[in-house]
This record gives sequence, structure tokens and C-alpha cells, in this order.
Amino acid sequence: MPENKNLSKEQSPNVIGASARPVYDKSNFVKTIKDEIPNSLLLKSLKKVFNEGEVMLSEKDVNDRLYIILDGYVAQVKEDEDTGTQIGMHGPGDFIGLLSFQTGEPVFTTAKASTKVVSLCFDHHSFEVFMNEYPQISKTLQGLIFSNLADRYRKVVMLHVEVANLSRQLEEERNHLKQIIRELERTRNALISQEKMATLGELTAGLAHEINNPASALLRSVEYLSENLPAMAERASALPDTGLVRYFFEAGAQREFTDTSTHRSRMKELKTIYPELSRTMLRTMAEMDAVVFEKLKSFMGSSKNQPLLQLLLDAYQSGIFLNGIKLSTSRIEYLVKSLKSYSRQGGKDPEVSDIRQGIRETLQIIGNRLKDIKVETEMEDVCLVNCFVGELNQVWTNIIINACDAMEDKGALGISCKADKERGLISITITDTGPGVPDKIKTRIFDSSFSTKTAGGDFGLGIGLAITKTVVEKHHGSIEVKDREGGGAMFVITLPAAR
Amino acid sequence: MSDIYIICVEDEPQVLDVIVRDLAALEEVFPIELAHSADEARELIKEIKEDGHKIGLALCDHIMPGDNGIDLMIEMQKDSFTENTRKVLVTGQAGLEDTIQAVNKARLNRYIAKPWDPKDLLEIVKDELTQYVIREEKELLRFMAVLDQERIQEAIRTKGYV
Repeated sequence: MPENKNLSKEQSPNVIGASARPVYDKSNFVKTIKDEIPNSLLLKSLKKVFNEGEVMLSEKDVNDRLYIILDGYVAQVKEDEDTGTQIGMHGPGDFIGLLSFQTGEPVFTTAKASTKVVSLCFDHHSFEVFMNEYPQISKTLQGLIFSNLADRYRKVVMLHVEVANLSRQLEEERNHLKQIIRELERTRNALISQEKMATLGELTAGLAHEINNPASALLRSVEYLSENLPAMAERASALPDTGLVRYFFEAGAQREFTDTSTHRSRMKELKTIYPELSRTMLRTMAEMDAVVFEKLKSFMGSSKNQPLLQLLLDAYQSGIFLNGIKLSTSRIEYLVKSLKSYSRQGGKDPEVSDIRQGIRETLQIIGNRLKDIKVETEMEDVCLVNCFVGELNQVWTNIIINACDAMEDKGALGISCKADKERGLISITITDTGPGVPDKIKTRIFDSSFSTKTAGGDFGLGIGLAITKTVVEKHHGSIEVKDREGGGAMFVITLPAAR
Repeated sequence: MSDIYIICVEDEPQVLDVIVRDLAALEEVFPIELAHSADEARELIKEIKEDGHKIGLALCDHIMPGDNGIDLMIEMQKDSFTENTRKVLVTGQAGLEDTIQAVNKARLNRYIAKPWDPKDLLEIVKDELTQYVIREEKELLRFMAVLDQERIQEAIRTKGYV
């Protein structure tokens, strides 16, 4: 309780000031009592001393004592579950146990001597006696008691006001934080799509090659066939047995590749047997397997029947081109499908998808980076995850491209997908045979500020792994990097399985 | 008489099939040989050399398993046997840096983008081979039928021999 220092003690011994609310002077009160003790058996008998640390009142106990502190300080402690919170300190002239003494309610806060404490300890009887014997001091005492209670009330009111203020501040802070989180989310999404565009830029360069190859084969094969088929059909109709043309056509469509040096030596061999035939004819003949070639030989005779031979070779060659068209078309179709599904933005809501599909598409799309890399997959389990497919595909792309970079595009890439049905988890392990990730940077490689890529040299922002982690965490999963047995890095991603 | 070969290096069999077809018109004068990788190409080059023939032109894809096309061409440029071989890159994709390398280190002569126009391909190949034979060959008459006749006639006149 604040003391009013301007008031003179001389105005009144106990009651000071003439304002609407009298202010009672504790030190005067204490002094009066102390002066009285030597003369009073009652007061002497009430004197009680506590040592430092001694508990005067314990929370929740029933109390029938009222202490008036004469010397020393008492800490008021509210006990929590395991620790105590000190809520106040009382000195000379203050009361301890006032509420529980007056109301009979259990003790509300524990009182513990902070220093050595000299007090007067009343029970109800001695309090009564004291009131009667020292009416003058009692008056001050009652005033002090009332003042004490009033003070407590004021404090409670102030506390309410403060709580209200704090709540308002908290609310403001919370709104501010919400706004910051929204901004962070926007920034993150922007970064994700920026990195995604960068990855896509890198990918499309590779895709151009992937698509242009089959496109070349496709275009040229179609042109060849449209030029030659009509004439072939005409020539074939002159034959007694058109089934023959069909036979060679189909054989061509089923041709299997031989390596070029075997093919070359076959061509050389044929050249010695049929020196009069053109290299183009010999080349086609060298493509044929033994059965087809035997059949062809039976029509060659002394190879005098060149028009028939040419027709059969053309039929065989047309079969080769038709098959080329089929292969090229399905490759382009698959690539385009993969790209479409890969770059799918996806809606607001996640969808249940087998992540193996996304991984296969990713492998297909970055195929040109994998030409010299042995890819070993172990993906027998069905791995359904509730996810944003496009975002997870970026995860696979980032990790696989990182692996390619680390291996300098030569080595082995291992991908396994396992479903742990009991724990409801899907784990994806991606290993490479590169130099691995040194221990001291293992914890940092997922930081957005960390990159081993030099600025400007790459399409990406060098924050691929940071984004990878963000995306994995968005899917309530985790990602960690370990050492692959036998050297290299191992990334393990764990995602909750879809129910 | 030694033959002048055209070699095609390309990892996709279907693409190789169509390239050979597009060049068939030249085949009777310039035999065509194929390789699926840089390694196969090295073997092929060795064979052609051992048989006492020459390589007039190399058509090379860039992205292939193993060494890429530009690596192979740089290697060919360093080897006296293939130094004067005309070098043509046929690719769906080669970065700027790769292409600069090819021009500076492999003396790349031409760049053909996939998918190609067969007429362009044939023109480019004829043009390159014409330059090759004018520089390298004494007996030019036998190339008249398939290559650029005017330039070969001109060369025969200025060189003063047939």
C-alpha cells in the first residue's frame, strides 16, 4: 500500500490526514505496539518469531491465527502444480492470515518468512482480549485491516483493468501474427511456383530432346510410308500371292535390334555373297533374322528377280517404319501425358493418389538426365497418399536432379516405396552413388539460405531442398538425409498413408 | 580405291532408321555406317581406318548414353584420321555452351535441329561432302552424279586435273 510521505505524523498518532479516506501509518502503528510490549504480559505472550524460510501459513490449511508483522518480511506464495509463484511481499505493519482468520475459509496463499520475522500472533480469543485492553491501538488496527482489504479490492479492480488491457494487446498481437503468417504463406507459395517454373524451364529443355527424337522418327517414317505404300500395293497386286508381302511387312514390324557392329559384319558378309545388290538392300537384309532371311533367300534364286526382291525388302522396311511410328507415337503420348500430370497445379483440396505414379512420371520427364544413370526401382507396394500431386512431383524432381548433379550424371539411382500398413506410413527412399552429404552440412541442406549451387549458373534458385522440405511438411511428412551404405546420399521421406 | 564413308551416330534406333533412309540417294557413292553410341562409333572409325577407307562426314546426335556427341567430335578433331571429316550435329537439344564448345573445339560445320526437313538434310550433307571431296580428293568425276555438279566442275577446272 503506498504511503503518503507528505503527511506529518504529528497530526494524529495513528490516524493521519484529514482526507475523505484516512490513511493509516503502519510504521507508527508498529512503533506503538513495540513500545507497548515491554509493559504488557498479553503482548509478550503473543510475540512469535519465525526463522528465514519458515512457513507461517500453508495454502489450503484451516487457519485461526492472525499475524501482525513487526520486523522482517514475509513472502506470499501461490502454489502451482509444481512450482510456487511469489505474488507479494509483506513487511512491518502488514497482516498475515487476515482473510482465513476472519472468514474461516482455507488459507488462500502460503506465507513464508523471507527474513527472520518478529510477529504478534493472535487467535480469536487473544484478539478479543487485545481489542478490549487496547481500544486505541485496536482502532488503528481496524483501520489498517479495512485499509488492507480496500487495498486488496483496488488491486483486484486494477488487475481486471490490466487483464482487459493485456487481452486487447494480445488480440492485436494475434491479428498481427495472423497477417504475418498469411504473408509468409503467400511468399512461400510464390517461391514454390517460382522454383517450380525454374525446374520446369530446366525440364522443358530436356523434354525438347525427348520429344524431338520420336517426333523425327515419326515424321520421317510417315513420309516414307505415304510415298511408298501406294506403289508397293500396286506392285504387290501383280504377285500371285500377296500374303508374301504381308509376311515381310509383319516381320519388319517385329524386327529386333542388333548392335551396329554385328549388323555391319553381316552386311559385309552379304556383300561378298551378293556383290550386285545395293548397300541399301543389303542393309535391310542384314536386319533380318535367320528364319525371315531363309524365306527371302528362297525367292532370290540367282537374285535375278530383283524387282520381287526389292518389293519384299520394301515391305520389310515398311514394317520397320510402321513399328517406329507406333513406338514413337506412344512415347510422345506418354511424355505429354506425364508432363500434363506432372505439372498439374491441382485444386485447393488434396487428392488420394498413388505416389508411385508421380515418381514414374518424374523419371520419364527427366529421362534425358538419366541416360547414363542406372535406375533401380523397388515399388511393389501400393502407396496411396492424400496429396497435392503436382507439389509432390516437384519433391521427386528436386531430389532426383540433385542426385544427378551429385553423381555428375553417372552412377546408380535407387528408388524404393514402402507402405507400412500397421503404422499407416509411406516411406520413399532415394539413394545415389555420388559423394554423399558431409555430416556437418546434413542439418543445413534443408535451410533456404543454404545452397551448394553457385548463383547464376543454374536455372533454379538453389532452394530446391528447402522447398522440398516445406512441401513434405505441408503433407504432414518428414524428410531426412542419411548416408547410403557403400557411399552416396540417401534421402528418406515419410508421409502419412491415405486412410 | 578407298571409299568415303558417312557415319551416323545416334542412340535411338528409330531415328537412325529414318536418317539412313533420307540419305539413301548418296549411299551408292558414299557408304553409310551406323553407331548407337560414341563407343560404337570409335569401333566403327577404327574399322573403317583399318579397311583403308575414309570418313567424309559424321552426323552426330548430342545427348547419348556414355560420351555425348560433342565429346566424340572433339576427339575426332584431334585425330588426324578424322580431322578433316565434315562434322554435323543433329540434335533436338544442345545448350548454348555445348554448341560453342562444338564450334570452337570440334570445328563443327553444321547444326541440324530435330525434327529435320529431309530436303535440308540432304542438301546440307551434299554441300558438306562437296567441300570434303574438293579439298581431299583428286579424282572428282565419280562424285558428280550425287553431289553439287557446278562446284565440282568448277573445282575440276581450277585444279586442272580430272
